Amino acid sequence: MNAMEMSNQGYLLLLHANEWWKGLGREELEKHIAQNHAWLEGLMASGKITAGQALARSGAMVSGKNGRNITDGPFAEAKEVIAGYLLLNVRTLEEAVAVAKTCPCLAFGGKVEVRPLTNECLSTKRLEELKREEELAAA
Amino acid sequence: MSVLNPTEKNHHGFMLLFIGTDWHRGLSPEEMQKVSEQWMAWFKRLTEQGKAVAGHPLEHDGKTVSGKNAHVTDGPFAEAKEAIGGYFLLDVATMDEAVAIARQCPGLPYGAKVEVRAVRAACPLAPENKIEEALGGAK
Repeated sequence: MNAMEMSNQGYLLLLHANEWWKGLGREELEKHIAQNHAWLEGLMASGKITAGQALARSGAMVSGKNGRNITDGPFAEAKEVIAGYLLLNVRTLEEAVAVAKTCPCLAFGGKVEVRPLTNECLSTKRLEELKREEELAAA
Repeated sequence: MSVLNPTEKNHHGFMLLFIGTDWHRGLSPEEMQKVSEQWMAWFKRLTEQGKAVAGHPLEHDGKTVSGKNAHVTDGPFAEAKEAIGGYFLLDVATMDEAVAIARQCPGLPYGAKVEVRAVRAACPLAPENKIEEALGGAK
């Protein structure tokens, strides 16, 4: 599946992680890195991943009119940041959750946010809601 | 589309995360329609320029998986102000370019924020330099 096709059959896994590697010895660290790679390779082989990557800890936050406020990352509540993402082309939330449950990051206090992709902007959706509310009020 | 291959190293890429899922609440239907159209036109333009390789709004519902027993709870755990409403994957070479694109986000005047993150090579859960650092420290 090509993510550019804007198909709404897909899920985004956001991997929230603290600095889990701190305090681990070399052997443990190597073991867990190998586990992560094996997990990713297994998912790739199964054809369930469309895309996925780690995110660098540095970055920027843009806000305000015309994006006038630009602050550097790492971010304020950096105890837990989004450390990576996976785009899944599975069909149901259950399947996506099943994949999330196999993330090796869970053993170290990581969290996986599972979000359905959609084609509809939040504002468009809200607009539809407002129209329905108006219709109900008029009826 | 190297930015989408999780195993390829030394690529460039950035992820824009659109933060805030309630910024459009105070808008009139006309304003909402306008922002929504601007947003779609923005994505279309970036795609045509080859700068956006993927992007989706996200449904607000979803699941969060956490803990050693892979406990599943409803919804993203962030509050509406901090929740992620959508993402773009950019194929641009520098952080400056990515930030310049983020500054064009049509939601900014209404309080949306854009997190700009550099995408990294294969390790899905931790930036490699941190692991090297940790390994160096463990020697």
